[in-house]
Amino acid sequence: MAVGLSIATPVVAQDPLVELHGMLELGVAGRVRADPLQPDDLVLGEARFRLDLSHFTDRAEFFFKGDLTTDAVADDVELDIRQAVVLLRATDWLDVRVGRQVLTWGTGDLLFLNDQFPKDFVSFFIGRDDEFLKAPSNSMKVTAYTGLANVDLVWTPVFEPDRFITGERISFFDTSGGSLVSAKTTGGPLQPLKPAREFENGELAARVFRVVGGYELAAYGYWGFTKQPLAFDPVAERAMYSRQSVYGASVRGGWLGGIANFEGALYDSSDGGGANPNVPNSEVRALLGYERELATDLTAGFQYSLEWVLDHGALLANSRNPRFEPRETTHMLTNRVTYRLMQQTLTLSLFTFVVPADDDAHVRASATKRWSDAMTITVGANVMTGDDSGFFGQLEKASNAFLRIRYGF
Amino acid sequence: MKRKIAWIAGLIVGLAALHTAAAGQDAPDVNEIVERANLAAYYARADGRAGVRMTITDAGGRNRTRRFTILRRDVVDGGDQDYAVLFSRPAELRNTVFLVKKHVGEDDDRWLYLPSLDLVKRIAAGDRRTSFVGSHILYEDVSGRGLEEDGHELLEITDTHYIVQNTPLDPGAQEFSSWKAWIDKTTFLPTLMEYVDDTGEVYRRIEALEVQEIDGTPTVTRMRASDLRSGGFTVIEFTSVEYDLDIPASLFTERTLRSPSRRWFSVR
Repeated sequence: MAVGLSIATPVVAQDPLVELHGMLELGVAGRVRADPLQPDDLVLGEARFRLDLSHFTDRAEFFFKGDLTTDAVADDVELDIRQAVVLLRATDWLDVRVGRQVLTWGTGDLLFLNDQFPKDFVSFFIGRDDEFLKAPSNSMKVTAYTGLANVDLVWTPVFEPDRFITGERISFFDTSGGSLVSAKTTGGPLQPLKPAREFENGELAARVFRVVGGYELAAYGYWGFTKQPLAFDPVAERAMYSRQSVYGASVRGGWLGGIANFEGALYDSSDGGGANPNVPNSEVRALLGYERELATDLTAGFQYSLEWVLDHGALLANSRNPRFEPRETTHMLTNRVTYRLMQQTLTLSLFTFVVPADDDAHVRASATKRWSDAMTITVGANVMTGDDSGFFGQLEKASNAFLRIRYGF
Repeated sequence: MKRKIAWIAGLIVGLAALHTAAAGQDAPDVNEIVERANLAAYYARADGRAGVRMTITDAGGRNRTRRFTILRRDVVDGGDQDYAVLFSRPAELRNTVFLVKKHVGEDDDRWLYLPSLDLVKRIAAGDRRTSFVGSHILYEDVSGRGLEEDGHELLEITDTHYIVQNTPLDPGAQEFSSWKAWIDKTTFLPTLMEYVDDTGEVYRRIEALEVQEIDGTPTVTRMRASDLRSGGFTVIEFTSVEYDLDIPASLFTERTLRSPSRRWFSVR
């Protein structure tokens, strides 16, 4: 429901001035097991107020979405502007979208190969809504719609990394010391060196997209940096981002009553032969997925993903900690089951990531009740399990049960 | 598989009649009746737009609302169609876009755009007996079943209606054992549909509550779908219906999913 101000008009009304919407959300998540490295048993404790404004003219559209959050775990108040963007309909075949925006492309379900736009992995693991997995960036997106294909170009002038795990709230495995660390044990959150704010350190992403006979075909390119601080500056002795380009392609379409997708990508790192231990190696990544409805309101999806580290021999030969280097090939499986009941007002969701060779897994379970059009209540759990050095296992003590109540208007 | 995914839009923009009434003919062929009803209900004019308000009432009497604008364009009259839906209410669905390329004789292509993630999701074609956004309308019974899926029998001709009994040729493929349609003799609009389970009981009903003539085309502007077992029902109102807007084919593409043009989705 729009708030009862005279300026609030439904989105379909003619000549709207400003559309005003938003939400209030309370979220709490507590650890299932204590983490001795962390000061707090809560991983999430926040009240979030969102203001969502939009204004439309024939040629331009204006969007603002800002979240003001009081955070009991970080003990502060934060303003996170998730959207502040102008969409210019420059011609009948060209759109330009300038400003702060959340961007997504690719075919994976919670797995991203060619999507190098920023993610928020802290939010992902601490019980926030899935929407917070995608973080905004300050970008310019130009899309040309031609008869042959749609072409997207996204320029992000100042590199926008992922919101990665820094040791605050969530402990992680430090391969140099071979143990779990947190902001408490390392004297502060991980603060990697960012690329200098120079023109040549901006990010460029491109996509060419076309639908052929019901199949969506896309080719992708990215020129920038690793989105997480995987490299190490031996002089400054700090984590850093190394240059990386990504080239890939995807196809998605109907198959056997469901939807199948394939996506592949080459992560071309700046470590040519793989001999530099301070820079991640190049990788090939691939993803196969299939989703279909098994029964009315019951949907299941499966994905297989491959991460293949190139020049693995050189990686091991030059590594300071070869036993903590990634395997040459990592196979991951995911499963999503969604069941909607009670006239779709109750949604049960289970999403599982498994790396079978490492007994490493992450389970996301939730039940969402739509109490009314405005009020939604979600309870759930994020469980991570595996060895301390495992991708998910290192987050085991951040496993949590959460409750969220959202009132939207 | 060859059946068409049912799809709300067909019912919404499409529920209008060929105004070429078959007055004066007696006892026409049942296949001709169901074909004309299909055209009347889903293929009115070349294209159309409607603002839609759905009120979903559950068994306990609690109401929920869905509001959206829907655009339809016939690729071929009686054949393939394009649909686009932009939601404005509730908050959870606001700015969500639904795009369908309906293909006769093969699976439809369907996409959903989730604005909070900037995510274009592909939706499987297999779920035609699923509720549309939590309402009592299923995808299938709004865009119409493929005519070839049922055997048709003209049960009765009243002063105003042809009453047609439809019995699925593949009995296990749906939860009903047969359905009956009351087809208006002058407009060929189906004004009442009743679904019977295998005990012979009517458990679902879809009825036109109001028919208006829009630019000379009889159009259902208010209807109700009821679940007679639970007592829940959904009332669908069409706040404005317009036809023959020359909606371009290029509107039914990824551009509309990611940045829908207000020019086309604004209703009077």
